[in-house]
Order: sequence, then structure tokens, then C-alpha cells
Amino acid sequence: MLPLSYSLKNLWARPLRSAMTALVIALVVVATSLFLGLISSLKRTLVGTGHPQNLVVMRKGSDNDGASALPQEAYQAIRFLDGIARNAADQPLVSPELVVQPFFRTLDGGRENVLVRGVEPIALEVHDQVQIVEGRMFRPSAAETIVGRAVAGRYRGTTLGSELEFGRGRWKVVGIFTAAGSSFESEVWVDVRELANDAKRPLPYSGIRLRAATEGDLVALQERIENDPRFALQAQRETDYYAKQSESANSLYVLVVAIALFSGIGAGFGAANTMYAAVQSRIAEIGTLRAIGFSRASILFSFQLEALLLAIAGFAVGSLIAVLFAASLGSWLKGIAFGAATFTTNVVTLEVRASDLLVALLLALGIGLSSGFGPAFRAARMRPMEALRRG
Amino acid sequence: MVLTAQETPLIRLREVSRSYQRGVDRVHALERVSLDIPAARFVAFMGPSGSGKSTLLNLVSGIDRPTSGEVWVAGQRLNDLDEDQLAQWRARHVGLIFQFFNLMPVLTALDNVALPLLLTQLDKRERARRAELALRIVGLGHRLHHYPRTLSGGEQQRVAIARALVTDPDLIVADEPTGDLDARNAEAVLALLRQLTHGFGKTIVMVTHDPRALRFVDQAFHLDKGRLLEGNDAERAHEAILLAAGGGGAAAAVLP
Amino acid sequence: MISWFGLVLANLGRNRLRTALTFGAVALAVMLVVFLLTMPAGLDALLNSIASNTRISVHNKAGIVYSMPYSYARKVRQVEGVAAAVGMTWFGGAYEEEGRVTFPNFAVEAEYVGAVYPDYGIPKEQLEDFRRYRDGAIVGRQTMRKYNWKIGDRITLKSNLWPVALDLRIVGEIPQERAPMLWLQRAYLDEALLAARGRGLEIVGIVWARVEDPERVDQVMQAIDDLFRNSEAETASETEKSFFGNFFGSLKGFVTVILVVTALVALCIVVIAANTASMAVRERHGEIAVLKAIGFSRRRIFAALLAESTLLCTSAGLTGVALAYGFAQALRSFAGWSPALGPLGSFLVTPGVALRGVLLALAVGFISGLLPAWGAARKPVAQSLHEVF
Repeated sequence: MLPLSYSLKNLWARPLRSAMTALVIALVVVATSLFLGLISSLKRTLVGTGHPQNLVVMRKGSDNDGASALPQEAYQAIRFLDGIARNAADQPLVSPELVVQPFFRTLDGGRENVLVRGVEPIALEVHDQVQIVEGRMFRPSAAETIVGRAVAGRYRGTTLGSELEFGRGRWKVVGIFTAAGSSFESEVWVDVRELANDAKRPLPYSGIRLRAATEGDLVALQERIENDPRFALQAQRETDYYAKQSESANSLYVLVVAIALFSGIGAGFGAANTMYAAVQSRIAEIGTLRAIGFSRASILFSFQLEALLLAIAGFAVGSLIAVLFAASLGSWLKGIAFGAATFTTNVVTLEVRASDLLVALLLALGIGLSSGFGPAFRAARMRPMEALRRG
Repeated sequence: MVLTAQETPLIRLREVSRSYQRGVDRVHALERVSLDIPAARFVAFMGPSGSGKSTLLNLVSGIDRPTSGEVWVAGQRLNDLDEDQLAQWRARHVGLIFQFFNLMPVLTALDNVALPLLLTQLDKRERARRAELALRIVGLGHRLHHYPRTLSGGEQQRVAIARALVTDPDLIVADEPTGDLDARNAEAVLALLRQLTHGFGKTIVMVTHDPRALRFVDQAFHLDKGRLLEGNDAERAHEAILLAAGGGGAAAAVLP
Repeated sequence: MISWFGLVLANLGRNRLRTALTFGAVALAVMLVVFLLTMPAGLDALLNSIASNTRISVHNKAGIVYSMPYSYARKVRQVEGVAAAVGMTWFGGAYEEEGRVTFPNFAVEAEYVGAVYPDYGIPKEQLEDFRRYRDGAIVGRQTMRKYNWKIGDRITLKSNLWPVALDLRIVGEIPQERAPMLWLQRAYLDEALLAARGRGLEIVGIVWARVEDPERVDQVMQAIDDLFRNSEAETASETEKSFFGNFFGSLKGFVTVILVVTALVALCIVVIAANTASMAVRERHGEIAVLKAIGFSRRRIFAALLAESTLLCTSAGLTGVALAYGFAQALRSFAGWSPALGPLGSFLVTPGVALRGVLLALAVGFISGLLPAWGAARKPVAQSLHEVF
């Protein structure tokens, strides 16, 4: 077998060509992992939202909070069902909520629909992902609001202590909360009664979130709520609800596939070019190696290895660029907004993670393997005498 | 070409020197060479490797320019021309033949020969006609549409000669034209070049160290270490070559 | 007989495999660039197509999900300078899969909608049918294509917002490539709601109005907002362009990422092409020297080499554009309107986008050939010949 250093030295012998080829692969890695990173960030935001033991109760046929509405009686009926977890004060962990999507003004003068969730203080216990990190919880009926981390600073009047205008009223921002990177961070929370007044909604609640005491209780509760003949309700596990919301992002994977496939094949062609040229310029060398007694397999392996090394170098550079680039692009854009057509904006922090890079690595290795095989095969197929003569 | 008087030489070199910078060293490839070559002659520059014969050929054909001294060819003082003007001048006045033929592998024999005509104002038909004529002159009228790789070495060199001939230049220069050919083909090429001089009135300057060439050329200039040998030195060099050639047919055949 | 162009072509044919690989790489990358460019271009095209019309949207100042009383539609219609106005309310109908809205659908006033959208080119008879049939629906061409619907087909939409499912018959098509929306009769929804919950529709989401005189658009918008000032639902009027510009404004970040990715792919093409050009020049070192020796000027050598890379890239670029066209067509027929993409998902290779792809390829060919060609041309002939002899 020819040593690894032989392949390395050969790459080093034509630095410009090797660098260009690795650069092409690096660019493909950056493009693919950046875009993949964006979509997985989006999915992560949505899928990571909610608690597996929470139920989302909405009117039947609604696919989101914003489209649902429940009467007060439904809330009262559900609140006293068995199997609901209780807090230290023995209150059931049931959060009646109202969701509206008013306009918010972005700093550059545009406007987006932001999800405003009207809640009662118990909501902080039902949604235990939500943590107030600055300021405090709003006081009911005081025109106060707390805003998610992704919202804070993205829109006018969303910094702590400022006056925020939306709906018909003005609200004072008294707190900023995080929610473990979930989509709650793209929300604004206010007192549910105040919001109902402001939005002039005849039915006060759009949905109810509740925490089941145990997994078994969750299934039982789900069944009871859905089968209650008085109200046409549906109850979904909260994590399932957000997982379903994230399905709309699936169509974006077509774009990832398109980018990876077409730029990958293109880069593979480019790399094959380089490798063919390398074989061409080393015909005499190959002949000598064969004459000395190196087998076809070792020649094949050596050239294949060279292509793979190029791909790995490309991946190393590309993944580094992608991670840095994603971070700077993310902070420059202050998060990337999604979901205009569903009437709510989800602000996603662009991040390229190891799982995205793994896909890019596979792509790079694929490029290396497939582009190296043709040239390596050609090199291995040469007869020693012929190769010597042509050199 | 404006010179009509027989006694005015086609090529005139006066005190020509050429030196290169190679790293920290200054290499003197040619030193104070003066010579005249009249028109319609077949002339050889001979000498060992590094004698400066190729440099001399490059200067005569306008490929290179002297460090000092004057080069006149066909009434033109080549010192006065810049790189692009020289290219233009070469296209019009010089035909070139190389040791390794240097044909374009992607073009047929005919297209290779027609290549220099692209630099003229001739129309397509006229270019084709002249290229074909040139190939007939070198005896390859039957190989017009062959690609170089399908031709023998001798044939390839004849295509190259046709390419040098096709623009009807004042001067044809050849750098080791037999260097890559076997004995039979080498002689055929030399005979063809001689015929171009005596049958068509072409001036041909050739660099070679093929002793056979002495039987075909009208005159040989001998160089050594960048200087033109004269008088006794030249004769001695001449005889040495003849001796080597006559000393054994076998040796001559093996010599490159 | 050999010609200038023939020389360039012959050189491209020298290393067929390399030419083919480069051609393929550039074609695929250009295809990808063109495909990605259709996304921002789709948004631009939408905004440009409505830039000059005099349509305005009247909606609740607080947001489009904050509705207005239905009477607003009538009141807007009576404002001086308004040629026509139609109330439009989000229906949120899901087709096939419950709860999943795959194209936007609205309840509209059948008798007014045609007058507000004369530019859509909906045939008169179809508009009449829409008025005549209570369950009639008019559907945008993009959605018609996606579901392979024909006029006369019957479909059922189950609303995720209203407690009804409506059986509809398609009576017309909005003959616009990028139009995804479906219109159904407001009166029909109103009736169904009355039956289902004892209360009719009562509200309206947006009132779209067409202003007669382009000069008076601002004035009319002012008059409308004044009319509803201090009422239960204050309005905000804006031009159609401003409305959609704002509506899709949140896609900006996404578009930026798309453009960044596009730029990366474009850069890829430059490097691939440059690599090829430099290999092509390097291995022809000797030939180039010979061409120079027989009198080809530096300019001609430079031009021939540059023409070679430009020709290769441009022809590959043209192929790439054609591939992108095919790919977009295929994707459009099965992906249709994606809520996640909105107008970015129209995937239409317009002449403008195609032109950008070809120009990119041309520029890449030129730029990538520049350096190697310059290097080859500049080298003094004696020096290169020295390497040949």
C-alpha cells in the first residue's frame, strides 16, 4: 500500500489547484449547512416548545390557537376535572389563554404579526419553560406586559421599561422572558382579561393549556374533553401540537435537497477535473509505481484517498466558515422571521449545529468518493509499460 | 524585402550580445556576434549545447531581442519593434519549424497549416487553397484531413514545414528540425528544406547539431560559448563534425 | 476551413472529459442559482405587479386579525373617489387534510369582487357564474394546477376558524400564474354560519377598494381613516403594494439567507471555472508559445483563451437556465403554494431571472478566464519557447 504521506505530498505539490478544489467543496459545505441550519433552527424552535404532559385544548377543527375560540363554560368545566396537576397552593395547573396577532412595528419601519398571549399568572407554572430573566411578571389590569427574548429589541417599544403600542392600547414592558429557545420566546404576554377587552373578543378564550398529573391522566383527560357533548373540543398533547406546527417547515427541506444535490454534483465534477488532471500529469509516475510492483488496488486506493483528503480539507474549512458565518449573520439579522402566511411570526436564531455539519460531512465525503473514483480507476487501469512510454 | 540588390544581405547582425539574469548570475548567451546572410540561402548554426545557437536563432527570427547590438532582417531593424509589433512582423515575414513539430493536436493537418493565415486578410477559400498548396509542396497532398497523432514523425515535421511555408515568408527558421526524427526521415526533411531554397528561393536558417546537415546547407556558422567561430577555429569545428559523421555511419545514425 | 471560432471550439474539444465536467458543474450551479433566485424574484414580481394599481386595503389599525364590522364594506364603497370595494374575510378552509390550510381562501362579495380586480383578467361569464351560484368559487391558477382542478369540479373546504365545512363548485379561474387564492361567496358562508351557530358572519377582515383617480389615492385613504376615527374599530388604509410589502416583510431575513446561499454557489462556479481555465492554459503552455512564435499577438492569444472560457461557461449557463426551468416547473406542479414560503414559492423562471443566470455564467466565464489568459499572453515568447525546446 502506498503511504498516506504520498497522497498528501501530491496534494501539496500543486497547492493552487488543491486549494481551489477544496475551496469549492468548502463553499458547498457552507451553503448546505447554512441552509440546513436555518431550517433545523426553525424546527428546533417549534419542536422544542411545550411540555409532554401538557394538553392544548381548542375548538374542534382549529389548527392553531389563533383560529380557535372557547366559551367561558368550557373553561369552568375543564378546570375541575380529575387528573390535573396542582401547584403548592393546590390550584389546578390550568391556563386559560387568549391569542391574538396584532401588528408590531419593526425597528426599520416594517410590521409583523406577533403572537400576543393573554394569560393568568398560573401560566408561568403551566409553561415552566418560560423564565422571567429581566424585570418581573406583569400585574393584572395594569396595562403591563412581558415580552419574549426574541421579541425584545426587534420591535419598537419592546425593551424593558418602554411603552409598547399594539392592538388598541399601550402597554408597559415590565419583564423579559426566555423559554429554552422555544417559540414562546417569539411571544408577548399580557393579562388575559385586558387583552380580551382590547381585542373586543366576544368569547374570552381561544384555548386552554393544562398539565396532567401523570401520563395516564393525560390520556384520560384527553378522552374526556374530546367526548364532552356540550362543547366540540379537541385536546392535543402540547408537544404534538407544536410538532404539527413545525410540519409546515418540511417543504423547506426540498430546498435543502436541491442545494445539496446540485451544488454537490457540481463540486464533484470540479473535483473530478482536478483529479483527472492529477492522474494525467503523473502518468510516468504511475507507470514507475506499477513497474516497481505496486498493485492496481494500491494505486486506486492512493488516488481515491487523495480525493477524500481534498473533501475532508474542504469540509474542515467549510464547517468552520459556516459556524462563524451563521453566528454573524444571525446577529446581524437579529433572528430570522418565519411564518408570515400563518399570521404569526416566529423569530428563529440561526445556528449551525453538529447535526447539520454531519450532513455536510456526509455530502463532502460523497463528493470526495464519487469524484475520486473515476480518475483513480483510470490510474489503476494503466498498464505499466504503456504508462511509462506515454510519460 | 525592399532590398533588391543581390549584395545586400537578408540578415545582418552587428555586434549582437544577449545576456540573461539567472538568479544572481548573469549568463552571457551571445557575445558581440556579427554576421551577414544573403537571401535564398540555406544556412546552419552549429555548435554544442549552450553555444548560443538557439539564442542566435531566436534573435534572427524576432522571437527574442538583443541586449545590445543591431539585428536587421529584410530591411527591418528588429530592435525598433516592441513585443506585439514583433509578433506582427513574425506573422508576415518569418516561418518557424521546431524540433518537436509543435502542431496543434486538436487541428487537422490542413487546419494546422492554415493557422498562420488567420493572421492575414485572406478569405476562407484563399486560406484553404494556400494551405493545401503548401501541403502538396511538402508531399502531403493526400494527408490533408489527418490529425497529427495519426501521422508519422516525418510527416508531422513536413506539416510543420508547410505551416512555415504557407505565408510565403522572407525567412524560414528551423530549430533542430531533424532532432526528433530517424535517419531516413531526417534526410528527407533536410532535402526538402534544401529544395525550398534552391527551387523556391526561400532563405532558411537552421540550428542543428546533426552532422548530416553539412551535406545539404550552403553555409554553416559555428558557435562556441556565445561566440561565432572564425578562420581556423571555424574550420577546425567544421572538420570535427565531418570527422564525426564520416568516422562511422553508425555513429551518425545514432546521433540525435 | 479553420476560423477563429473554429480554433476556440477545437480547443474546447481537446480534453472532452474536462470540458464536459466543467460544463456539467457550471450548468448545475447556474441551475441552482437561477432556481434560488426565483424565490426573491417571486416576491419582487408580486410587489411590482401591484405597484402601479390604485387598489387600497382598509383593515383594522390593530392588525389584520382584528376584524371590522361588516358595515364598513358598505361605508367604504360610499366614500367619494372609491370606484369599487369588496369585503374579504379569511375563511381558513382546509382541503383534504383537516386543519391544514394549503392555499389562502377568502369569503368575498361576489357582486363587487370583479370590479375591484379588473386587472386579474377573469372572464366576464365566470364572474357572472360566481354571482349566480351561491356555492361558486373562483380559484387562482397556481392552486388549480396544484390540485389538477377544472372548472365545474366540486370540492369541500372545512374551515379551521369557522364551525362549518362548505361544498363548493369551481366556476372560474384567476388566470394569473402566481395566484394561489380561492374566493367563495360571502353570502354562502353567512348562511352556513347562521345555520350552524345562529349568528351570521357579521364581520369583515379587509375591505379592498379601487380608487378611480391615481392622483387621489392618498386623499381617499385619508378620508376612509377619518371616517372610522374614534369608532369601535379604527382603520388603517394603505396601498396594495404597501400592504403586501408589509405582509411579506418578515420574509426578509429568510430571503437574505437565500441570497447568501446563492452567492456562495455563484462563487463556487467562479472557482470551478477558474480552476479549469488555469488547467487548460497550463497544459497548453507549449502550444501557446508556438502560436506566439508564429506571429499571434498577445491580444489574440488573450482573446482566444478568454473566448474559450466564456463560451464554455455561457453555453453551460444557458443549459443551466433550461434545467432550472424544468426543475421549477416540476416542483411547482407538486409543491404548489407552501404556507412557509408564501410568494417565495412561486418558482417561476421569468425572463429576468433567466437573464441573470446567463449573465452570471457569462461573467464567470470571463472573469475566470481573465487571469490565466492574461498570464499566458503576457509571458515573453522567448521564455515560454525556452520551456518548449
